[in-house]
Amino acid sequence: MKKVFVDYKKCLACKACETACAIEHHPGHNLFGALGDTKTQINVRVLGVEHEAFPLSCRHCSPADCLDACPSGAITRDEESGAVLLNPDLCKACAMCAMVCPFDAIAFKETHRARYGRDVAYKCDLCNERIKAGGRPACVEACHSGALVYDDFDHIRGNRALSGLKHYLLGKDDKMPPLVELFRELRRKECQRRRGGE
Amino acid sequence: MKVVTVGTGMASAEFVQSLRLEGFDGPITMVGDEEFPPYSPCVIPFFLAGEPLETVYWKGANFYERYGVTARLGSPVVEVDTERRMVTSAAGTSESYDRLFYATGARSWYPNPEWLETRGVFGFKTLTDMVAIDRYLREHNVTRAVVFGGGFIGVDAALALWHRGLEITLVHRNTRLLSQMTDEDGGCFATDKLREKTGIDIRLKATVSGITANNGQLTGVGFSDGGSMEITLLIVAIGVSPNSEAMTGQDKGVVVSPQMLADPAVYCAGDVAITQHAVSGDDGIYATYPNAMAQARTAARHLVHGDGVYAGSINTNVLKKHIDFPIVSAGSFSGESVTWQKGDIWRRVYLKEGRINGYLIIGDTRMSGYIYQLYRSQKRVDMSIRAILSSPRHDGYYSEMLGVRGC
Repeated sequence: MKKVFVDYKKCLACKACETACAIEHHPGHNLFGALGDTKTQINVRVLGVEHEAFPLSCRHCSPADCLDACPSGAITRDEESGAVLLNPDLCKACAMCAMVCPFDAIAFKETHRARYGRDVAYKCDLCNERIKAGGRPACVEACHSGALVYDDFDHIRGNRALSGLKHYLLGKDDKMPPLVELFRELRRKECQRRRGGE
Repeated sequence: MKVVTVGTGMASAEFVQSLRLEGFDGPITMVGDEEFPPYSPCVIPFFLAGEPLETVYWKGANFYERYGVTARLGSPVVEVDTERRMVTSAAGTSESYDRLFYATGARSWYPNPEWLETRGVFGFKTLTDMVAIDRYLREHNVTRAVVFGGGFIGVDAALALWHRGLEITLVHRNTRLLSQMTDEDGGCFATDKLREKTGIDIRLKATVSGITANNGQLTGVGFSDGGSMEITLLIVAIGVSPNSEAMTGQDKGVVVSPQMLADPAVYCAGDVAITQHAVSGDDGIYATYPNAMAQARTAARHLVHGDGVYAGSINTNVLKKHIDFPIVSAGSFSGESVTWQKGDIWRRVYLKEGRINGYLIIGDTRMSGYIYQLYRSQKRVDMSIRAILSSPRHDGYYSEMLGVRGC
C-alpha cells in the first residue's frame, strides 16, 4: 500500500503542495476560485520547524487513532487504497479525532463540503480518487524538489502498524543536490541571524 | 453458539460488527429498552440542534438487517440468570444465551424523579429524550429553557438548545462548569469563555430547588440561591449511574477481567464496565467512546479466537459541540503544573516524576494529540514541555518529533 513519505531536507517551503491541494479540493478546481475563499480547504501545511521546513499532512496511520475515536461514523478507511477518509456529512466537529491525532493533521472550519452551516473536521484524503485512477496525490505531483514521495509503504518500512513520524521520513543518507544544499545553508544562516536579533 | 447482547448501544453494536468481521456466523439477538437502531449518544444533541435524525445511526439505520441480528426492543433486561444462562426483560420475555454481552450503559440520575411526571421536564441522555424534547419544543413554541447540571451532558444540552436559538439559563452547583473534567483554574477559564461566547446565563454555586406546575404543566423553577424563573422547559442533567442492577443487583458498575469477562459466559463493556486505567492503573468506569470500542473488540476477539486482553482505559475527553471552543482533558490534575495562556487558549500539563499525569487544553485542539501520545506513552517531558506548550505557532513539538535542534 502506498503512502506519502517526506524528505524534509529537500523541502524549500515553496508551498506548491498547499496550492495544489487547495485547487484539487476546491469545487472550482482552479487557483482563482480558491484564492481569498474562506471555505478553501488545504489539507497539507508547510511548517517552519527551527531552520527546516516540513510539509505536514495526514499519515493515514494503521491502525488510526482518529478512526477509532470518531463517534459519528464519519471516519473510515478505504481498504483498497489505505486512505483514511472523513465524510463531512456525518462529522459533528466534536474533535475526538483531533484530540488523539499524533500529527495535528486534522483541523476544523466551514469548508465547501460542510452541509450544516458550521465547521467540520477536514484532513488529507490522499487524493483518493486520483490515486485509485492510477495517479499520485496532488501535493506529491506539485513538489518540485523531491520532498514529497508517494511510494509503497510495505516495501520501504515493512508491514508494521505505526504512528510514529520517523517511519514516514525518507532520505537520511541521500546526498543533496548542490543547489539545495546551498539553499539550506543560506536558510540556516538566516534563521540564526533572526534568532540573534530576537 | 447463540450470542445475546443486553443493550443496543455503541459497545453492543461494535461488538456485533466485530463478531461478524471476525467470522462469527451464529445467531445474534440484541435486547434493548429503546425502539431504535444503534445510535451515537455523542451525536444525538445535534439532532436537537437542528441536524437530520438519520446521522445519529452511526453504523447505519439498517444495522440489524445488515448484521443478521434478531432485535428484541422496547423493554429493558431486568434479570440475568448466569446459572441457567437466561435473560429476562421487564415485559417478561426471556432469552437464552450461550455467550452474553452485557453493555447497558448508564442512565440519568435524578434528585427528584417525580419532577419528570410534569410536562416540560426532561432528562438528556437517550434518543427517546431528544425526540421528546424536539416534539415539545415544536408544539409549545419554547423560547427559554433552564438546564440543571453543568457537567459534560448539561453543557452539551445547553449548547445544543442555544444553537437552536433558545435563551438558556445553566444552573450548576459547583464553582465552575465541567468540574469533573477540569481543575479549578481551567474550569473557571472555560466557564468565563463559554459565557462570553454564547451569552448563556450561567448560575454557579446554585441548584434548582423546586418546580412549579399548573395542571401537570411546568410553569417555573426556583433556585437554591434565591429567586425563581417562569419557564416551560427544564432539562435535568446532573449525573448518571450505570445500569448494572440486572447483573449485580447494584448500580455501581460491573467488574470485568482483562478479557472483558464478568462471568465465564458473560462479557461486559462500555459505560457499565469497571476497567483498569492504562496509565494510572486505577479501577473505574471510564465512559468514553474509544474505551467502549476497544473493550467491545477485545470481547469479540476473545469470543471468536479465545485470545487477546484489554490494554486498559484512558480517561481522555473533549467537549467541542455546537461552538468552536474545544475543552480537552485527560489524566488526573495533581503534580507539578506547567501553564500557558494567551487570548482564548489555555493549556496546563501536570507532571509527576517528569511524566504527564494529566492535562487540560482549552480553546484550541492543536497539539492536543501530541500531548495525548506523550501522556499514553509516559515519556519524560520535563525538559521540553514548557517550550512545546508555548511555541508561537503551536507546532513546536515537530522539532522534537523530527529531532531538529535550533540552529
